[in-house]
Amino acid sequence: MSNIVTQPVTVGKAMPCGGHKRKRKRKSQLVGFLFVVPALLLVGLFFLTPVAMTAWMSLHRWPLLGQPRFIGLDNYWRMLSDTGFWDAMGFTVLYTVVVTIAIFAVAFPLAIFVEKPRPLQNVFRTIYFLPVVVGFAAASLLWVWLLNVDNGLFSPLMERLGLTNGRVNLLGSFDLAFASIITMVVWKVAGFTMIILMTGLQSIPEDITEAARIDGVSALKRFRFLTLPLMRRTVGLALILCISGSMLAFDQFYIMVSGGPQNQTLTAVYWIFNQSFVSFRLGYGSALSIVLLAILVAISVVQLWIIRDPKEDAR
Amino acid sequence: MTRSNTYSKIVARLMTCAGAMALLAGPASAETMTLWSRSGQGETIPALVKAFNESHEDQVQVVQVPFQEMVQKYATALAGGEAPDAVALDLIYTPSFAASGQLEPLTDWAKSLSYFDSLSKAHLSVATYQGDIYGMPFTTETSVMAWNKDLFEKAGLDPEKGPTNYAEWRDMAKRVDALGDDIDGFYFSGNCAGCTIFSFTPMIWASNGRILSDDGSKATLDTPQMHDAVDLFRNMIADGSIAASARTDNGTNFLSIQNGRIGMQVVGAATIGVLTTQHPDLNFGVAPIPGKDGGSSTFVGGDNFVITKGSDHVDLAKTFLEFAYSPEGQTLMAKYGSLPARSDISAKIMADQDSRLQVAAATVPTGHTPYSVVFNDIINSANSPWIQMLSAAIYGDDPDAAIAEGERQMQETIDFGS
Repeated sequence: MSNIVTQPVTVGKAMPCGGHKRKRKRKSQLVGFLFVVPALLLVGLFFLTPVAMTAWMSLHRWPLLGQPRFIGLDNYWRMLSDTGFWDAMGFTVLYTVVVTIAIFAVAFPLAIFVEKPRPLQNVFRTIYFLPVVVGFAAASLLWVWLLNVDNGLFSPLMERLGLTNGRVNLLGSFDLAFASIITMVVWKVAGFTMIILMTGLQSIPEDITEAARIDGVSALKRFRFLTLPLMRRTVGLALILCISGSMLAFDQFYIMVSGGPQNQTLTAVYWIFNQSFVSFRLGYGSALSIVLLAILVAISVVQLWIIRDPKEDAR
Repeated sequence: MTRSNTYSKIVARLMTCAGAMALLAGPASAETMTLWSRSGQGETIPALVKAFNESHEDQVQVVQVPFQEMVQKYATALAGGEAPDAVALDLIYTPSFAASGQLEPLTDWAKSLSYFDSLSKAHLSVATYQGDIYGMPFTTETSVMAWNKDLFEKAGLDPEKGPTNYAEWRDMAKRVDALGDDIDGFYFSGNCAGCTIFSFTPMIWASNGRILSDDGSKATLDTPQMHDAVDLFRNMIADGSIAASARTDNGTNFLSIQNGRIGMQVVGAATIGVLTTQHPDLNFGVAPIPGKDGGSSTFVGGDNFVITKGSDHVDLAKTFLEFAYSPEGQTLMAKYGSLPARSDISAKIMADQDSRLQVAAATVPTGHTPYSVVFNDIINSANSPWIQMLSAAIYGDDPDAAIAEGERQMQETIDFGS
């Protein structure tokens, strides 16, 4: 164990010397490769292989029960005219945009709040983080009850407080159901984003903000021109996690509203699930999955490009 | 199969550790078979299994699967080689599973049963594929209207009489609803495809309408009968007599009448079994589901018992089924709300049962079971054209457009599937 740990240190030292010993460099590359082999194996086994299998299946008419038949790109052609899928895709994008804004609007103030040392700091951090450790399915079921119009919490409470005239079914119309689910997701996820953003805040050297404060820079400007740029990477990480997670949303819509009211909250993954396991068209479901994967990769690439550090590029 | 093997291995090891070598022979030689059954079917199967396990050395283990997920779970389990030994399968799905070649043919054994000719024809017809029998009649149930007699009495209604047409239905719901803020006149699971095909379509059949042509090739949703039934529900909503949560109930709260604050609800025979055995305090009556101006109908449903091809416990499964068909088994099942699968002893068994179960049993001749090879796609799945149409027609702004669009979508799926 101990020599494995010490080796990267030697590698690190060798590099700035300008590579005067080529043999050593090659050896260090080999060692580096050996270090990533386990990760490569895992990625190959649990990511690349399934993706390759999915791609292969997407070229077939592949019923869940029965014999698959090769049909080339037919599944992809069919997809172009599958309005249901594109509607679901459109809804997924809408959901992603709204939920991401909502999560950051809540998580950023929370991160700033819990970052500074204050009494009961750990208690607050724990409280805000607590919903994160609840599974999505369990959280959804909990909220199904909270949102029940007849014997839940919110509707009867609002009626009793005189906020609404009679009880409102919070899952009954699209707008209310959408808002309810966004609220649930923010409650569930904001704590996680908060922790990521908090580590970003903590990595900003105190003296920089201190200097700005002495120079009389307002709090808003300090946040905009100091904190945000210095947190570029952290915000980027939180954004990518948040967006890719939201684009794959399924559980909450399946459990809380079954894609309703009237199929208006069917997400892309929900549509793929229905095609694959309700209509038993595994081949078509695979084709949809491949397209969704391509869209996700494209979104992530664009994001990485947007949040890149121009100075780093110049180097 | 594998799970039970591992389980018995663990048990065996534990017992060795405890030094209880003498006991080892017993549990190690007994077989255990896994049986899947869908949720929402009451206590019939668990009660039957319990009785079987208490009187037999070999054991049956029931695993309950959420009813909305039964088909995909069984299909994926078959595809993955992890299927249970046997499944109590919603009878409408037997044709597609039989056609896939994944079920054990039971023809010879079935025909050797002395009471074979008296087994439910409706079940056997869907279980027969290319001359072979792949599923055996297991549970049977029908849908009926139930009402809370105490609430009816308080509302000044005759507690012994349910609605016999739409006008009475609406009036009764309204009068019960007027009893108080926490009391609702009527309840239904408004966002549950499987529940509404069971509870809503009998209204259409009773009024001489159909939702599908007999061979399942044509969707016939846009009919006067459908509009009339939808209108009744819209009127009850306008009266405020349907519980607000009905709109978004995806089946989780199907049994709402058990809370004692619902005036009327369509229930199944299995539900009657649950109510009589678990909520004996609930004072309720049942009657056939009426049509617009009278008449009545019901959805005849239930489960076929299918055995997964390649199961290690085919003989045990057959022994279990013979137990279910015995007078003892049939009586027990009837008590929990499953109507007898054997017509030769049916009358004798039902005579001793709760009178409300007798009402449910008597509706069978008026009943229907819609048939379609794409039943899950067009009707039973959570996002099917059927439930989208019904939800939009009952709760949306434009019922006419919703019904027309529902028929179009249903037809599209039927055409695509064939």
